[in-house]
Amino acid sequence: MKGSTDKNTKERFEGGGLVLFSAVRQALDAHRVLQEAGYTARLVAPPPQLRKGCDLAVAVNLMEKPAIERCLEQKGISYLSLEPLKAGTSPLLEIVAVVDFDRWLMVKAGNMKLTFAKDGGEIVNTSGGGCPDIPYLHAELVGRSLTEAPRPKQAGFTLCALMLEQALEEALRLWQGGEKQ
Amino acid sequence: MMLIAGTIPIRDLPLVTGGVKGDGDNLVIDGYPIPCTQGTGAMISAALATTDYLKLDPPQAVVAGDIGDGEGSRQIYEYLIQNVARLTPGVLALHYCLPDMALMRRLCQAVRECRPRPLMISDAGSMYAAKAAGLANEFAAFTPDMAELAFLADGEATHPAYINRHLFCADIGRVPGLIIAAYRQRSAARLLLVKGATDYIARYGDILATITEPRVPELEAIGGTGDTITGLLAAFVSGGLELHEAAIIAARVNRTAGKMARVTVATRVGQIIAQFPAVFREYLCAWSGTCLIKGGSYHE
Repeated sequence: MKGSTDKNTKERFEGGGLVLFSAVRQALDAHRVLQEAGYTARLVAPPPQLRKGCDLAVAVNLMEKPAIERCLEQKGISYLSLEPLKAGTSPLLEIVAVVDFDRWLMVKAGNMKLTFAKDGGEIVNTSGGGCPDIPYLHAELVGRSLTEAPRPKQAGFTLCALMLEQALEEALRLWQGGEKQ
Repeated sequence: MMLIAGTIPIRDLPLVTGGVKGDGDNLVIDGYPIPCTQGTGAMISAALATTDYLKLDPPQAVVAGDIGDGEGSRQIYEYLIQNVARLTPGVLALHYCLPDMALMRRLCQAVRECRPRPLMISDAGSMYAAKAAGLANEFAAFTPDMAELAFLADGEATHPAYINRHLFCADIGRVPGLIIAAYRQRSAARLLLVKGATDYIARYGDILATITEPRVPELEAIGGTGDTITGLLAAFVSGGLELHEAAIIAARVNRTAGKMARVTVATRVGQIIAQFPAVFREYLCAWSGTCLIKGGSYHE
């Protein structure tokens, strides 16, 4: 969550996400960069089951995965991955379902749905989700063609946006002649 | 008093509080125009259409601009934490916001200290935060769709993006099993209204009702049609209906409005909300059972 400081939230921060690094220096740099960008971030030791590289990780709000990854990439900070902290969490969903509405196709990815016109590729609706970028992306995407619409992964901030990105990718693939999966 | 809290997709909208008014296609809160589009705007619009018809006080709202970076979400959480005991709403409906477990925990603590304690309804990001933080039992009702029900049923997931793929692939026939799993995980509110091709109303794991008619499958594709159900539910409960009765009627109203609007998947949610008064006039008396309300006025 942007707008918080480590000092104020150290005791009760429950972000649910962990950025993993191969070197301690990267973790320190990421912590500084994320804090400067306004994200709540905390240096922690990764639990054994998540330990991949070095013994230092940065705890973040998992919900902001795309925005945090974008921030680190823009600042040139290398990291291994951003993963859920909770043991036993399933991998990020990468499957989609498609529903045929005659002139339109609705693509579902996780909690997000995107519907487009078979003729012309216009996005006619998006639905689902619960994060604050989703109504914003709804306004930005609806009425645009699949090829010209802003990409949710770039314009959005949250895991819901990541799911909408998957739906858009599949919609593009279908509209450009791919078979339904 | 019913209080609805959630973000609005306007970048620079400050924290705004106050009673809601309608103004053509927009809502107005403390002089700020709020669009009736997917998300909190649709939820508030549905609640306002209901309170207008029932001649109840309009909803009170706490909204802030947020396009995903969480700034407005944080303002809403902090405002509620500081003020909910003073406001003491009868119904507190939480909606779109950046899921934040720590802030949700503080909010629930603040609500616990209210006398009387508000009845809390949650949908969207606030429902994700409540489940992820293990606070579902603080809530009277959640209103998930199928994917969100799978999220509630997955004990490990902190967001629907991480649900087990077998749960995501579950068909409508497995909804009762997912409902039971969600209650076993202690991830469900006292009442669940599961929105889908069949709407399920469940309390503590028991399915009280299913609603399948009228069948309007296009509603699933239309952004905001889940939000309207939650707004209807909050308004009916605020008007005095029992929670499960309110859920059943909310689901029926939404479907029937969709049918009346002759929706396609390209329809906008405002066109459906515009049908609510006609649905109320034609069906609400019969559906509410007691004929408490007729033609926009109370009949004891």
